[in-house]
Amino acid sequence: MILKLLAGNLTHGLLLGGVYGLATMGLSLIFGVMNVVNVGHGAFIMVGAFVALTMFTTLGISPVAAIPVALIIGMALGFFFFYTVMRRLIRAPELASLLATFAIGILLQEIAKLIFGADFWGYNWRVGKISLPITTIPMSKVYAFIGSILIALFLYFWFSKTRVGTAVRSVVEDSEGARVCGVNVGWIYALSFAIGIGLTVMSGVLLTMFIPVGINPYMGGAYTLKAFVIAVLGGLTSPYGAFFAGLIFGLIENGAYVFFAQIPGVAPFPLTVSLAFWMLFFLLLIKPTGLLGGK
Amino acid sequence: MVLLKLENITKRFGGLIAVNDVSLEIEHGELMAIVGPNGAGKTTLFNVINGVYPPDEGRVIFNERDITRLPAYRRAPLGIGRTFQIPRPFSSASVQENVAVGAMFGTLAGKVSVDGCLEIAERYTELVGLEAHKNKEAGSLTPVEKKMMEIARALAMKPKLLLMDEAMAGMHPKDIDEMVRFLKKIKKEENIAIVSMVEHIMRAVAGFANRVVVMHQGAKLIDAPTEQALSDPRVVEVYLGRP
Amino acid sequence: MKRTIPKYYPLIPVFAAYLIMFIIGFTMPGMWQMVALLAFYCALGQSWNIFMGMTGYVDFGYVTFIALGTYGMALGVQYFYQIEGLGIGIIFIGIFLALFLASLSAILEAAIALRLRGAYFAIACIGINEGLRYFIEGAKIWGGSEGIIFSGALTEAVGREVANQLTTFWADFAVFIIAALAAFLNVHYMRSKIGYALTAVREDEDAAKVMGINTFKYKTIAFLTSGLLGGLVGAMAWGLKLTHVFPGDVFVIHYTVECIVVVLLGGAGTLLGPVVGGLIYGLSKYWLAVILPGFQLLIFAPIIIAIIVAFPGGIIGLVKQRIKGTPLERYIV
Repeated sequence: MILKLLAGNLTHGLLLGGVYGLATMGLSLIFGVMNVVNVGHGAFIMVGAFVALTMFTTLGISPVAAIPVALIIGMALGFFFFYTVMRRLIRAPELASLLATFAIGILLQEIAKLIFGADFWGYNWRVGKISLPITTIPMSKVYAFIGSILIALFLYFWFSKTRVGTAVRSVVEDSEGARVCGVNVGWIYALSFAIGIGLTVMSGVLLTMFIPVGINPYMGGAYTLKAFVIAVLGGLTSPYGAFFAGLIFGLIENGAYVFFAQIPGVAPFPLTVSLAFWMLFFLLLIKPTGLLGGK
Repeated sequence: MVLLKLENITKRFGGLIAVNDVSLEIEHGELMAIVGPNGAGKTTLFNVINGVYPPDEGRVIFNERDITRLPAYRRAPLGIGRTFQIPRPFSSASVQENVAVGAMFGTLAGKVSVDGCLEIAERYTELVGLEAHKNKEAGSLTPVEKKMMEIARALAMKPKLLLMDEAMAGMHPKDIDEMVRFLKKIKKEENIAIVSMVEHIMRAVAGFANRVVVMHQGAKLIDAPTEQALSDPRVVEVYLGRP
Repeated sequence: MKRTIPKYYPLIPVFAAYLIMFIIGFTMPGMWQMVALLAFYCALGQSWNIFMGMTGYVDFGYVTFIALGTYGMALGVQYFYQIEGLGIGIIFIGIFLALFLASLSAILEAAIALRLRGAYFAIACIGINEGLRYFIEGAKIWGGSEGIIFSGALTEAVGREVANQLTTFWADFAVFIIAALAAFLNVHYMRSKIGYALTAVREDEDAAKVMGINTFKYKTIAFLTSGLLGGLVGAMAWGLKLTHVFPGDVFVIHYTVECIVVVLLGGAGTLLGPVVGGLIYGLSKYWLAVILPGFQLLIFAPIIIAIIVAFPGGIIGLVKQRIKGTPLERYIV
């Protein structure tokens, strides 16, 4: 009985893990290219969530269509913040970009609060379910998972097969070397930042298929923490590592929930949320640079 | 008693052997030059002596004490000082404060008050000719001035061994002569062993060092008194290739 | 010894500011609450600045110290109020527990996070407040999500009158003392070996190590000091003053944001900066609460971005540039 519950939960966890992984790929990309940790990461996920919400409830458009919209909005935000803020901080001390991305996150939260209020929102996208022996999975989650895999695959091909993608990889390796080879490093920075943000906002859309009523301007914080755990697990500079680490994290998170629910006298849900923190704690204790890729 | 002894130091970075089985002995108060083209392994050797990273093989023995695995910050109080090829000032602090850092954490650590360190710093700042700039932000100095400040800072540590990394690179020949005179004066007054690392400035080497070590591709090629080393045909080969 | 006194001159404008604030609050009717709020932000700013200003590291999880301090006070009163004859001593137990919890957290965090560089340090710290909050709620310790309400316990321990005085006056007064203490420690560190070591760490950590500086030790000293002060602020301004603590209230990143605003606005790494920042932010929050409640972060977030990009030295940074070479230099640090 427990095993069936566990297996069911693990399946859900794997699906969610795909979305987590996608969200973290954006973080890894930005860090790999620009050496900037986007501390406001969660706020962009929140933006994606609200994009999906708004499009569904006011325009009646399915979240699948919201994905490309989210990408465009994300990239627009990325370019905007890069050219107004981040570009000027390339030569500044590290803490400047940390504080800046943090402040940008706060700004987005407050604007969202202004527009949507501080309450929790949700929407219901009914597209049926799949019944498996171990559990029933809403199709929306399946779509989200497929979506995240497709996007990750697309990214893989883009990085390895296109000229621009290769240029980005070269900048990750050695920005000075790339510059000498004629790569317009400044533009690559802008593009990578924009794509990274775009990925993050898109993952916010996909995430809403898992959290029916959890959309709120301040929802980002928990996801920033999770993204960091996943990034440390998978290597802060390796987007593929981040994706796989996301899957692992999703599994651990959901599996742990079942485990915690068996312990008397504890509240399993908050305990599971705190799990991410403990994972980070132990990960940093043993290997700060991640298990794959490392600087 | 030998001041510094390097025994079979080997250091690899991935597949590249940066320092290849180098053994060396430096006496108290010795003036030595380590010479070699780019990539010969000189900076790596300095870094191993300093403790920036440990060697893969071999031992570093300073004053009869095995310091091979000792963290970098514990070597300064023992008496190992260092200047960097590209000066690394603490830019927002003043020149005097920069030099005072040397006094505070070098061999005098724990023995002198902050004010005492500032006084020592004042003396060394004057010694290198920067007294006019002593309250200026270190970041605003010219590159040559920064180099001099680095030297003052390292000297304020009252080291027994001073590792100077390309201290004379980019200097006018007249300045090099000045520097050589200055270093000799220092060595006499403070009895420091000075190991200078130079890429190819023979003028600096000839006037300054008693002994020259030539490195090539990570290994020690020649280790001899200056005149002998500089007239060795292999030195020419190392820099210009076989004729 | 003769040289030491001038070292502390920069404290004069700071203490003067606190004194003026206190006098205004104490003598003018109805002003105490506002002055207490300003003192709160100044104290927070000074405490946070000791670590961030001197090392250049950002502890995004700083609110954890304040929260743990609050819990320390709550636990102290709640579990010891029945001891006969303890009376006001219970407050000191609360303070001790606050310091104990804060230092425990600081040491653990330092051991794990301070060995890491900039970006990894930021990552390590950012989740601490969330993690602890949900752990308290999940493991149902310390009252779980229902928190601890200890007003009753306090009244039982010291009597209604004393309890009232404590919560309406002495708690806020303590915040002034903490602010002054933080300012003193800030200057003391700046002028001592610790200050030199941390400047070196901030500018070039690797060169600092080669110069003989045990970077981890000095970072930890600053971190611990900053954390302990934060814990004291929590114990007084939240714990003693409100006599309750709920995990959802205290472990919120919101207050870390406010620390950042206060310090950056005034000038990170300066002594007077957090005071100026605290006053400006506190006043604007107080007044905005009347016209546009909840809007202060919306207004300050872009201001912070502007400061980071254009005026990283904050207000005091600008002032310092203007007064270079004048006798005022000794007082504005």
